[in-house]
Amino acid sequence: MNQNLCETRHLAMGYDKTPLAQEIGLKLAPGQILTLIGPNGAGKSTLLKTLAGQLAPLGGAVLLDGQDLARYTGTARAQKMALMLPHTRPTELTTCFEFAAAGRIPYTGRLGILSPADRQIVAGALERVGAGALADRDFNCISDGQRQRILLARALCQQPQLILLDEPTSFLDVKGKIELLSILQKLAHEEGLGVIVSLHELDMAQKISDAVVCVAPRAVSGVMTPDAAFAPENIRQLYDLTEEQYTAVFGAPKKPRFEHYVRSGQKLLRCGYTTGTCAALAATGAARLLLTGAVPESISLQTPKGIVVEVAPLFCRRTAAGAECAIEKDGGDDVDVTTGLPVIAAVELRQDPAITLQGGKGVGRVTKPGLDQPVGEAAINHVPRQMIESALRAEAEAAGYPGGFEVTISIQGGEEVARRTFNPHIGVEGGLSVLGTSGIVEPMSQQAILDTIQLEMDQAALATPRQLILAPGNYGLDYLRDAYPEFAGIPVVKISNFIGDTLDMAATAGFKEVLLVGHVGKLCKLAGGIMNTHSHTADCRTELFCAHAALCGADRALCARLMDAATTDACLDLLDQAQLRVPVLESLLAAIQLHLDRRAAGTFRVGAVLFSNQHGPLGTTQTAKELLEQWKQS
Amino acid sequence: MTGKRRILLSYCILTILLVVLFAANLFWGSVALTPGAVLAALTGSGQDALSVSIITRLRLPRAVMVVLLGAALSGAGYLLQTFFANPIAGPFVMGISSGAKLAVALVMVIFLNHGLLTGSVTLILAAFAGALAAMAFVLAVSRRVQRMSILVICGIMIGYICSAVTEFVVAFAQDSNIVNLHNWSQGSFSGMTWGNVGAAAAVVLPALAAAFLLSKPMAAYQMGEAYARSVGVNVRLFSRVLVLLSSLLAACVTAFAGPISFVGIAVPHLAKQLLGSAKPLWVLPGCCLGGAAFCLLCDLIARSLFAPTELSISAVTAVFGAPVVIGLLVRRSQEGVQ
Repeated sequence: MNQNLCETRHLAMGYDKTPLAQEIGLKLAPGQILTLIGPNGAGKSTLLKTLAGQLAPLGGAVLLDGQDLARYTGTARAQKMALMLPHTRPTELTTCFEFAAAGRIPYTGRLGILSPADRQIVAGALERVGAGALADRDFNCISDGQRQRILLARALCQQPQLILLDEPTSFLDVKGKIELLSILQKLAHEEGLGVIVSLHELDMAQKISDAVVCVAPRAVSGVMTPDAAFAPENIRQLYDLTEEQYTAVFGAPKKPRFEHYVRSGQKLLRCGYTTGTCAALAATGAARLLLTGAVPESISLQTPKGIVVEVAPLFCRRTAAGAECAIEKDGGDDVDVTTGLPVIAAVELRQDPAITLQGGKGVGRVTKPGLDQPVGEAAINHVPRQMIESALRAEAEAAGYPGGFEVTISIQGGEEVARRTFNPHIGVEGGLSVLGTSGIVEPMSQQAILDTIQLEMDQAALATPRQLILAPGNYGLDYLRDAYPEFAGIPVVKISNFIGDTLDMAATAGFKEVLLVGHVGKLCKLAGGIMNTHSHTADCRTELFCAHAALCGADRALCARLMDAATTDACLDLLDQAQLRVPVLESLLAAIQLHLDRRAAGTFRVGAVLFSNQHGPLGTTQTAKELLEQWKQS
Repeated sequence: MTGKRRILLSYCILTILLVVLFAANLFWGSVALTPGAVLAALTGSGQDALSVSIITRLRLPRAVMVVLLGAALSGAGYLLQTFFANPIAGPFVMGISSGAKLAVALVMVIFLNHGLLTGSVTLILAAFAGALAAMAFVLAVSRRVQRMSILVICGIMIGYICSAVTEFVVAFAQDSNIVNLHNWSQGSFSGMTWGNVGAAAAVVLPALAAAFLLSKPMAAYQMGEAYARSVGVNVRLFSRVLVLLSSLLAACVTAFAGPISFVGIAVPHLAKQLLGSAKPLWVLPGCCLGGAAFCLLCDLIARSLFAPTELSISAVTAVFGAPVVIGLLVRRSQEGVQ
C-alpha cells in the first residue's frame, strides 16, 4: 500500500534547538537512487543522520517503510536500514570478512556469534560488492576504494531495504568512484534497494540519480528530477557560483546534442539530421514562442525515419513581425559543407489557417525543371515541406490556435557554401537546398558500406540462394514495394552506389538471378559502363541521354538542350516533347544490359528496372523482363 | 578454520601458564618449603603448623588475589581501550588508578588517625569514588580535545597530582602506619587475607562477567560510535556501563593492591597478538587469563628477586609492560606516517 521506503513529513532538522532547515519533504521509492547535493556545511550529513535516526528530528517525522522512525527499536531499524558513514576508527587484527560481519549485529544473539547462515550472508554481501577475494585480507591493508566496498558490504549484511551513504566517494580516485557508484546502481536498479547518497561529484551524481534533493544552507529542496536539479541555474544558485565560475569548470551550459548512433563496420558513427529537420525544428521553435510566449529550452521532432531529434535552438527570439528561431545543422560524423550552419525559420502568424513557406537568404531557388520543386520555387523539397507543415499544425493544435503561419526559411552562410556544392550545376541557384527524406543523416564510410552490403548479401544468400533484388537507395526500395508487392519474399539488398562491387559479391555468393531496381538518375550511368554511380566518381547522365538521343535521330538543338538539362527527369521531359522517349530509353536499356552482362561474365543473369519519381516506370532491360515474368510465374 | 584453532590453542597456552605460575607462587617463597610440605598443607594433611599457615594464610590467598586482580586490571584496561579507541589507554595511564589511590589513602589516614579499622568494603567504595572522580575528569577533557595524546598526557598529569597529594596525606599518617601505607601506595600484593579475597571476588567476578556479556555491543562500538548506534546499540547506556565497569575493576585493584602500572595496557595488547583477533568475545577472556598469569609472574619476581625484601609490584610490571607500550607507540606513529 505504501509505496515509499523513506518519507519525511514537515521534518525540521538541526542540532540543539535551532533548526538548520524546516519543512523538509522527501520521499524515496524502492529501487530508486536519491542523491543529496549541496555545498559543504549545508547539512547533507545532518539530513542523513536525521533520516538514519542518529539525530532526533526537531519537528515533524521521518517515516521508514510507512512507520515513524522514532517508534522502531534500534535493532528493528537496523534490519530495515543501513547507514554507511566514512570509517575513521583504525581497526586492528580485523579481516575484511570480520569487518563486514559486524553488519550481522542486528541479527545475532546475545554474544554476537555468527551462525553458518550468517557467514553465508556475509560472504554473499562481499561477492555483491565484488570484494569476495578480499575476505581474508586485513582491513587496514587494503586500498581506499576496497575499503569503501567493504563498508558497503557491511551495510548489505544488515539486509536493509534502504541504504544511506554519506559521501562514500570522497577520497577515492576516479576508478574507485565509478566502481562504487556502479555497485550502488546495481543494488538499486537490479536488486530494488532504496539508496540515499550524498555526493560531491555532480557529473557522476547526474548519471546515477533517479531523484535529487538539493541541500542549501537553511533550506532543503523538495525531490527534484535530475534534469531540473543539475540545470546550470540551479547548480549555480545552490553552490553560489558566478556565471564565470560555473563556465570555467562546467563549460558553457551544454545544449542537448543529438545522440543516435549507427554501427558501421567496427565503428560506431553518430548520426546527424538533415537541413529539412533543422528547418522544421526552427519553425516549431518560433511558432511555440509566438503561441505560448515562452522561449523553448529545447525542441523535439519526430523525423520520418521515426527517430526523435531533440536539440536546443541557437536562438529563439521575437522579431518585429513575429519570431525567429535558429537550429544548427548537425551532420553527425558525416561532416559535409552544411554542418554547423544555422538554419533559421522566421514565423509570422496569419488569420486564415493556411501555411505558406518561403525560401529566404541562403536557400537556393529552382531554376531548371526536373527537380523536386517547380522552377521558381525555393529549393525546399517536399518532405521537409511536409515536416514543417505537420510540425506547425501540431503546435497550433497544442496551443488551441486556429490561424495559420507564414514561414521563411533561411540558411546563414548558405549562399557561399552552396557554390561548393552541385547545386549550381543541377539548377539550384543562390543557396543550399533544404532536403532530406528520412530527416536523419546516417554517416557511413565507403568500406563500411561495402561491409554492410556484404553482410546483407550473405544473409540474403542464406534465405534464398538463387534470387536477389538490388536497389541503390530508398527510392528504389519504395518503388519496388509499390510496383512489385508480389516479390516481398525475395531478399532485397540496399547497395548505395556500389553497383559493380555488389554484382561481384552476388557472383561470389552464388546468386543466379539478380534484379537491379533503381532511379533512372542512377542506373542510366550503367549505360556508360559507370559501375559506381556516386556523383564523385562520374556523372555523364545528360551526356548518355544526349548520345543515345542522337543515335535515335534527335536534332542538334535537342541534343544541346539535353546536355544542358539539370536532371534525368528533365531529359525525359525534353524527350517526351520530341516524342523520342521510347526509342532513347530502349537504346539506353540495351546499353545497360550490355554492361551488366559484361560485369556478370556469365555467372548469373542480371537485369535492371528503371523508374523515375516523376515519370513512373520507365522500362526494363531484356533480362529483367524475362526474370520478372519467370518470378511472377513461380 | 585456522582462526578458531589459533584462539583455542592460545587459551590452552594461557591456562597452562596460569596453572604453572600459580603453582610456582605457592611453592616459592622467602621461607623455603619442600614441595611435599606445600602439597600436604594444601590437601589439609600438613603436620607443621607454620608451613600450613604460610601456605593457607599467606601464599594461597595472595596467589588467588593476584589472579583476581590481574584479570581485573587487564579487563579494565581492555574496556578503557575500547571506550577511548586507543590502545594505550589504561587505568594507570588515564589517572584512574591514581585517583582511586588518593581516595583510598585519604580514607585510610582519616580512619587510622581516628583509631578505626578500614574494612574491605570501605576501601573498595573509597577507591571506586576516587576512580570515578578521575574518570569524570578524563571524560570532561576528552570531550574538549580530539587528540588522544593530549588526553593521555592529561591522565598522566592527574596521576602525578594525585600521587603528590597522596604523599602529602601519607605524611600526616601516624608513624606506625606509614610503612604499611607507603608500601601500599607503591603497589603490592602482600598481606592479602581471605576476607580481602572474598570481597575482591565479589566485585571482580560479576564485573568481568558483565563485561563479557557486553562483548557484542563492544564489537560494534569498536567500529565507531555512530556505527554502533546505527546497528541499534544504545550507545549512551553502553558507554556509561563501560565506564562504570572499568572504573569498578580498576578501583577494586587499587583498593587492595595499590596502583599497578602497565598491566592494563600490555596484557590486552599481548593477548590480541597471541589470539590474532581483536574481537571482544575472544579477547576479553584472553585478557583475564593473560592478566592473571602476567601478574603471577610479576609477583613471583617481586617476592623472590631480592628475598626477603619485596619489590613494589609496579616496579616489576613496569619493566615488562613499559617496553610493550613504547613498542605500541612507535608502531602507531609509523602507521600514522604511512
